[in-house]
Amino acid sequence: MDIKFDRIAATMFLVVGVLFIIGSTHLSSSSYGSKVGPNIFPLFLGSILALLSIRLFYESFQSKRQEGSKEKLQYKPFLIIFAATLLYILTLETFGYIITTFVFLFVCFQTMERTKILTSLIVSACFSVAVYYLYVNVLKGTLPSWPIWL
Amino acid sequence: MSIIDYLIQGFGTALLWYNLLFAFVGVLIGTAVGVLPGIGPMSGVALLIPVTASITGGLPPEQAATSAIILLAGVYYGAMYGGSTTSILLNTPGESSSVVTTLDGYQMAKKGRAGSALSIAAIGSFVAGIVTLIALILLAKPLSNIAIKFGPAEYFSLMLLGLAAVSGLAGKSVTKALIMTVCGLLLATIGIDNVSGIARFTFEVPWLYQGIEFLTIAVGLFALGEVFKTILEKDEEETEVARINNLLPSKEELKESAAPIARGSILGFFIGILPGAGATLASFFSYILEKKISKNPEKFGTGAIAGVAAPESANNAASGGAMIPLLTLGIPGSGTTAILMGALMMYNVQPGPLLFEDHPQVAWGLIASMFIGNVMLLVLNLPLVKVFAKIIQTPKQFLIPMIIAISIFGVYAVQVSTNDLLLLLACGLLGYFLSKNDYPIAPLVLGLVLGPMIENNLRRALTISNGDYSLFFTRPISLAFLILTFLWLMIPVLMKMRGKQVVINVEG
Repeated sequence: MDIKFDRIAATMFLVVGVLFIIGSTHLSSSSYGSKVGPNIFPLFLGSILALLSIRLFYESFQSKRQEGSKEKLQYKPFLIIFAATLLYILTLETFGYIITTFVFLFVCFQTMERTKILTSLIVSACFSVAVYYLYVNVLKGTLPSWPIWL
Repeated sequence: MSIIDYLIQGFGTALLWYNLLFAFVGVLIGTAVGVLPGIGPMSGVALLIPVTASITGGLPPEQAATSAIILLAGVYYGAMYGGSTTSILLNTPGESSSVVTTLDGYQMAKKGRAGSALSIAAIGSFVAGIVTLIALILLAKPLSNIAIKFGPAEYFSLMLLGLAAVSGLAGKSVTKALIMTVCGLLLATIGIDNVSGIARFTFEVPWLYQGIEFLTIAVGLFALGEVFKTILEKDEEETEVARINNLLPSKEELKESAAPIARGSILGFFIGILPGAGATLASFFSYILEKKISKNPEKFGTGAIAGVAAPESANNAASGGAMIPLLTLGIPGSGTTAILMGALMMYNVQPGPLLFEDHPQVAWGLIASMFIGNVMLLVLNLPLVKVFAKIIQTPKQFLIPMIIAISIFGVYAVQVSTNDLLLLLACGLLGYFLSKNDYPIAPLVLGLVLGPMIENNLRRALTISNGDYSLFFTRPISLAFLILTFLWLMIPVLMKMRGKQVVINVEG
C-alpha cells in the first residue's frame, strides 16, 4: 500500500467533495412546491465524501509503512500503448475505423512483442475489416468509414 | 397464472432460435472469460454489453432486452464454470471465486486425476446451478410481493443497506470502499436531474447533459484497468499445463462428492443472496465447512475431491443466488450484478418487484434460459475441457491489444462520441491506479447504477413527509434496514479493533 498515494488521493477526494458542496449551493433548493430540491442529495454526498477523505488522511498516518516487494513495471510498452490508444481515439473520426484500427492494433502487437510481423499484419487487418463489415453491413450500424477527403 | 405457466412461457421465449444462440454464445464466452486469467466476469460482462447492444439493435425493445440479458447472464455463470479449469490445470485461478479450488484441484491434477477434478467441478456447478434456479423460481414471486409493498422510505433504506453491504465487504479498508461508493453516487448526479429538469454540474457542456454513461465507466475501470495492469506487470513465467487423462470420474469419486456438492449448493445459494457476499466468499466458506465436517480433514490440501466439488458448486450457486435480489428487489449485491442491472436499464427495463409483472418475458425468459445454459455448459465442459484449456495459451501479444480495440469499438458503437472514448481511457488509467492501491472499483459502479434510484426514493419520501427526516426512523421496516446498515458497517470495524481477521470479498 502506498501511503503517499493515499494522502494525495485523500486530498483530491476532499477537493472533489468540497467542490460538489459548493456546486450544490448554486442549485435550486426546491422544486415544484416540494421542500426537497435537486441540491439535497449532492450536498449530503459531498459532505460525506469530505468527511471520509479526512478520515482516510488520518488513517494514512496510522498505517505502518509497508515496503512491498517492488516489482519492475514495464513503463515503456505501457506508455507506447497508452499513447497509441489516445491517438487512435483522436484520429478515429477523421481517418475512419478501418485504417485507424489497423494501425493501432499493429503498433500494439509489435509493442507487446517484437516478433511475428506477418501474423500481426494479418490479424490486425482481419480484425479491423471483419468488425467493420459485421457491424456496418450485417448489423446496419454506423462507424466512421474512410477518411473524409477520399 | 401460476408459476408453472410462467415458466412454460419463459421456456417458449428461451427456446426461440436466436435466444438459444445468445445463451450458447454467452456461456461459451463466459467459459473463455473464466479460463483467461486477467479477465474476470465483471470486465467480461462489461465488455460485452456494447457488443450485445449492437447485435440486438434490430429487435423490438423487450425482446432485445431479453436476448441481451440472456447472453450477459450466460457470461456471468459461464465464467464460474471456466474459472475452475485454470485453477485445476495451472494452479492459477481464472477468477477470484476459484482461488480455493487450486488448493485441492491442482494437487489432484498433479496426481494424474485432472480429468476427474474437472468433471466433478463441472457436475457440481451444474447441480448447483439447477438447485439455485429452482430456489429462485420458488422465491421470486413471494419476495417481489413483499417488496412491492415498500414505500420510497423503505426502498431508500434498503438500497442504503445494499450499498453498505457491498462496501463493507469490498476491500481492505472500509473507508476506501465507502469513498468509492460515494464517488459513484456523485457521478450519478451529473446531468439533467430527472425530477426537476435542472442541469447539475454540467458547466454548460452539452456532452454532460445526458449524464455520465455507466457503460463507459464500467468498461474503462474494469476492462481497460485490467489490461493496463497486465501490460505494466508483465510476467514472463510460463507454467506447464497439466495433462488430462481419464475424463469421467469413478463411481467412488461421484459418491464421495455427492454430499459436498449438495452442501456447497445450499450454502452458496444463501451466501449469494446476501448483498456484498459473493461467489468468492461462498467458495471460501464451503471449503472451510467441508474441512470441518470431514472425517479426515488432513486429506484436504493434498487432493481431496470434496475440496474441489464443494467450492465449485458453491460459487456457481452463489452466482445464481445473487440474481434474486437483483430480479426481485432491483438491488444488485455485487459488481457483476450491478453491471447486469445497468445493462437492463439501458433497455429501459427496471429490475425490481415490478419486473415480474411488467416484463414477465424478460424475467421468466432469463430464468428458463439459465436452465438451458447450465445444460449447455455441462455438455460443453465435459468433452471440450481440453479445448478450453488451450485458450490459456492465447498469446498475450494479440489478446491485450484486441481487448482495447473491442472496448473502444463497443463504447463508440453505443455512444458515438469521442468524448466518451477519452473518458474511457481516463477511467482505464484510474481503474489501474485505484485497484492497485486497494480502492475497490465495484462499489463505484454500484453507486453509479443505484444513484438515480436512491436519490429519487429519498426525494419522494421527503416530499411525502414534507421535508421531515424522521420518517426514515419511524417506519419500522425502514428503521430495521437502517439498523442493519449500521451494524454491517460497524461490526467489521469493531472486530478489527479486537484484532480479529475479517474476511473480505475481493471479487466485489
